[in-house]
Amino acid sequence: MLETIAAIWQKYGYVYLQGMWGTVYIALVTVLCGTLLGTLLSVVRLSRFRLPQELIRLYVWVLRGTPALLQIYFFYFFVPKYLPFDLSERACIIMALVANAGAYVEEVIRAGIQAVDRGQGEAARSLGLTAGHTMTRVILPQAVKNILPALGNECIVMIKQASLASIFFIVEITSAFKTVQSATFITIPALMISGALYLLLTTVLSALMKLAERRLQRND
Amino acid sequence: MIDRTKQLIVVEDLKKSFGRLAVLRGVSQTVYEGEVVSIIGPSGSGKSTFLRCLNLLETPDAGRIVFDGQEITGRRLRVDEYRRQFGMVFQQFNVFPHLKVIDNVTLAPVLEKRLPKDAARAAAEELLRRVGLFEKRDEYPTRLSGGQKQRLAIVRALAMEPKVILFDEPTSALDPEMVKEVLDVIGDLARSGMTILIVTHEMGFARRVSDRVLFIDEGVIMEEGTPEELFENTKTARCREFLDKVLF
Repeated sequence: MLETIAAIWQKYGYVYLQGMWGTVYIALVTVLCGTLLGTLLSVVRLSRFRLPQELIRLYVWVLRGTPALLQIYFFYFFVPKYLPFDLSERACIIMALVANAGAYVEEVIRAGIQAVDRGQGEAARSLGLTAGHTMTRVILPQAVKNILPALGNECIVMIKQASLASIFFIVEITSAFKTVQSATFITIPALMISGALYLLLTTVLSALMKLAERRLQRND
Repeated sequence: MIDRTKQLIVVEDLKKSFGRLAVLRGVSQTVYEGEVVSIIGPSGSGKSTFLRCLNLLETPDAGRIVFDGQEITGRRLRVDEYRRQFGMVFQQFNVFPHLKVIDNVTLAPVLEKRLPKDAARAAAEELLRRVGLFEKRDEYPTRLSGGQKQRLAIVRALAMEPKVILFDEPTSALDPEMVKEVLDVIGDLARSGMTILIVTHEMGFARRVSDRVLFIDEGVIMEEGTPEELFENTKTARCREFLDKVLF
């Protein structure tokens, strides 16, 4: 087994590496844009504007209640038709992944914000801080500690979810497996290499998250 | 110290309910500039809600509040600017744990009064020195005792140069040996001419520093008067009953 794996790696290593960069790219964009989208959504949802609140509830309800794969199909087939400019297949899929991640991140961040003691917001407002400053300078910096562990989990899900792009033959780790498998007809060893690469990415991410958490806890 | 010609806060028939629970059932009161008013009464009587209505942490359901000649209820108002004139000190301190002591104090002046950082810092250091926290200025609040946290909360409120300070049971969450250091700071403040409203269970303190004491029960001011009138010549049975139960 090990020999087969080594042989495959020697010959097709570059396919896997390309796949890994593809996954890293998709995951990175998804994590960054998804977190940004989720933060925005949660801040609006915690504001006192009724209509946007309800719209976001609807959004989260739909995006969390349907499979990510279905959402990717939707973005793949539907969205490009109605856009005035061309969008690459990869961009469509990334948009779907971002939309999906945003819904989950919204929940994580909202829970983290609501877990900050109410007295903190009241103290800030009673000092005359505006609602915006209260959020950005008092609540969010404290909410980060509640948010980070759960957000780390979401990021790991996002890395793994990028594998859905393989259905559309976008270059990433699972596609790399498919490529190698169809060229060599060797399945299990080829699959194990992909698995190992995912583990590598998720382990590195977990370690980074741990590090960030520890830094934040320093002034507790 | 009291300027009887200047009505700073005028409250008329203030009402507030939470759901079906009527917490304030018509409170009227006038506070003069420089006055120190203690508010006593049983838990759940509406004391804290009254205080929180004044700086609009709670929105009154009915009634009028006139602050410094300006009506603040019943029309749109720049709430943030209005609140800057009130300092508020909470039972649970509510210091900002993610900011150093000095940054707790300078945050609001820098953000909302646009004070240059250096000036804010110098003013904050001066205030911290006054309450004996100068040496702790670069620590995080988690390293402070309860009494120190509450002194920090007071200084943080003072840094905005408010016209009134509201104290909501400032010593109720403190260990007994730390009560005095906080009361001493509040006492100094009272003597300096600051207008103060304080909800408290420290009867001895209320008696010493107050110009006037309000006894609130069941959402109304049942009795009010100078400390002598209220503590020694109590008129209502409810207030007498309450005072008999609490320790001095």
